[in-house]
Amino acid sequence: MGIRLKIFTGFMILAIMLLIAGFISIHEFMNIGNYVQKLLDDNYRSIEASGTMVEALEREDSGILLLLMGNWEEGRKILKEGDDLFNKGFSSAENNLTIPGEHKYVERIKQDYNIYKKTWERPIVGTDKEGNFEWYYNKSHQMFLQIKESVKQLMEINQETMYKTGSDLKNRSQRAVMPGIVAIIAAVVFTLLFNYFINFYIAKPIVHLTRGIEEYNNTGEIFKFTSETSDEIGRLTNAIKEMLQSLTYK
Amino acid sequence: MRAHTISRYIGLVLLFNAVFLFISFLVSLFNSDSALYPLLYSFLITFLFGIFPLIFVPKSDFISKEEGFLIVILSWLFVCLFGALPFILWGGEFSITNAWFESVSGYTTTGSSILTDVEVLPKGLLFWRSATHFIGGVGIIVLALVVLPNLGHARFVLLRSELSTLAGTNFKYQTRKVLQILLYVYCGLILTETVLLKISGMNLFDALLHSFGTIATGGFSTKNLSIAYYNSPAIEIIIMIFMILSGIHFGLLFATITGLSFNVFKSTVIRFYVFLMLTGIILVSADLYINNFNSLFESLRYSAFQVISLGTSTGFATTDSANWSGFAHMILIFFTFLCACAGSTSGGIKVERLIIFLKAIKNQVLLLHHPRGVFTIKLDSNTVEDDIVRNALVFIVLYIIIVFLSSVVLAGFGVDSTTALSASAATMGNVGPGFGEVGSMGNYSTIPDAGKWILTANMLLGRLEIYGFISLFVLKTWR
Repeated sequence: MGIRLKIFTGFMILAIMLLIAGFISIHEFMNIGNYVQKLLDDNYRSIEASGTMVEALEREDSGILLLLMGNWEEGRKILKEGDDLFNKGFSSAENNLTIPGEHKYVERIKQDYNIYKKTWERPIVGTDKEGNFEWYYNKSHQMFLQIKESVKQLMEINQETMYKTGSDLKNRSQRAVMPGIVAIIAAVVFTLLFNYFINFYIAKPIVHLTRGIEEYNNTGEIFKFTSETSDEIGRLTNAIKEMLQSLTYK
Repeated sequence: MRAHTISRYIGLVLLFNAVFLFISFLVSLFNSDSALYPLLYSFLITFLFGIFPLIFVPKSDFISKEEGFLIVILSWLFVCLFGALPFILWGGEFSITNAWFESVSGYTTTGSSILTDVEVLPKGLLFWRSATHFIGGVGIIVLALVVLPNLGHARFVLLRSELSTLAGTNFKYQTRKVLQILLYVYCGLILTETVLLKISGMNLFDALLHSFGTIATGGFSTKNLSIAYYNSPAIEIIIMIFMILSGIHFGLLFATITGLSFNVFKSTVIRFYVFLMLTGIILVSADLYINNFNSLFESLRYSAFQVISLGTSTGFATTDSANWSGFAHMILIFFTFLCACAGSTSGGIKVERLIIFLKAIKNQVLLLHHPRGVFTIKLDSNTVEDDIVRNALVFIVLYIIIVFLSSVVLAGFGVDSTTALSASAATMGNVGPGFGEVGSMGNYSTIPDAGKWILTANMLLGRLEIYGFISLFVLKTWR
């Protein structure tokens, strides 16, 4: 292989190392962006929806208490608002099923809520339920706790996935940064190695050759130095040697 | 010392490693897993660093003995360094120290791991992790020499520098033939075990990787519970048989397969090796039957696997031996120090040295009674030369001193004494699991970083049989 090709290969290797490292880093950084978006789209929206549903359920529980105390108008108003808020949260969760098995949690919430809703949809004020706190604690409140637990489970599964995605993000960021660090270290080591080879196989023979010619001029003695390579330097050394030999014999 | 020539040979070894990195990359590509880019970039870096010296440095068939030594030692260091790249780039539990630990542990076939959860690793990385066992099993240089083009005299020098000082005894062939034998036996055993494990119910991927771990006497598993995950006596029996075979001199295995007169059945070393194993199994089984298990079958099943696993320096596990009695632990520690035979893929002091040591004691006693007597040590009717005897005795002493010193240093870092001693012995013997926190179901994640670097030095010292590694740092040797 000729000197030009050797030097070109050296620089090409250096360029390839840096280019690939750059490409991988960019690719991983773009992935991080996608992951953040995924984190927001997939999990944060469901967690927010769960929070809305919990808030709605708590309002409805308060509404039932107001009805029990005979405050029909205020109670029905809060229950209506709570129901609207719950449906809004539920609809958001239902349209954002991104985790395997998440649909089962949503389905359970739907079933539990339908049962719960039946307890307060029927009249309370003016019936035997009014002021009946035993009915409230044993039935209505128990159902409230049950559905709240189902919503919390949905929230937890999303939080767990969000934590996992967050941990993945940490790994992704390392995967994005490390190629750059490795490329810098590799490039430094490679440059030193490249410099050593250039010095040993190109610069050093030229120095030896120059000294040999100078010595020939001074003493008329042909140098004994031989090149290890068969590239341009090797051929030049042999050519000069032959030339000096022919000059000597003339 | 010709640094450029040395760099050319190291480049060749790196290129050989790059091939395996590329195969791991293909595995990752096939499974579309997260190790794709880490493996691709590691392959490129290793390939470019490997190819570059070959472009500049002209071929040189002659290398001196010192250069051969340096090539072997530096190749091990560079290969471990480049082998850590996929782990560093992938991240997870792999800090720089942890990646270096895992890489050295893989190449030296120690099988110790810093991972608390192996099963989260993508398949490409799992393959690479086990491939380090495959490459390091018979020696990175030996394996590279098999496939490299004709290197003339250099091939002989490199092979002698890489093989155990005692391994040459049973290799009475030319260098080329020795390499062929190693390759045939090594690959033959791996293929056979893979097929048998597949038939026994393992999937092909796990079967291949566990075969790498068995035949290289490494011990990296694809499961957190190691072989205990499968809870299959058939799988355990297959792995036990192949662990024993991998602990035998490959030259003797080849001789037995090809029907030569001097084979495993006639070797004193093998008889002693089998005798020690059987004694260990019987003693541990009896102890387990009394203290741990009600069934004799269970006692025999678990004791046999653990004794063979540690006695061959493999390190697979079928149960947590941490709750076994002190007596059982002591026997297992003996096997952790001893390991199997020279010329195999196992580490440790090796059976040959123990025989020489015992015979040297016997001769010393005889000398007391007959001061003018001349007593020689014989192994299979061959007289063992004095320098080999001296070498073996110094090796045993050095080995024990290094284990003791590294245990003291580890204890100084706050590691408890059981963990410190067993971790030092297990890494020095390239065994893998020890006791305490680094037990058969544990890992090395709790060892402080500085301790991990000491243990990796132990692994390299054990794999290169101490002298080779030490001589790197004794500059006078190279003048």
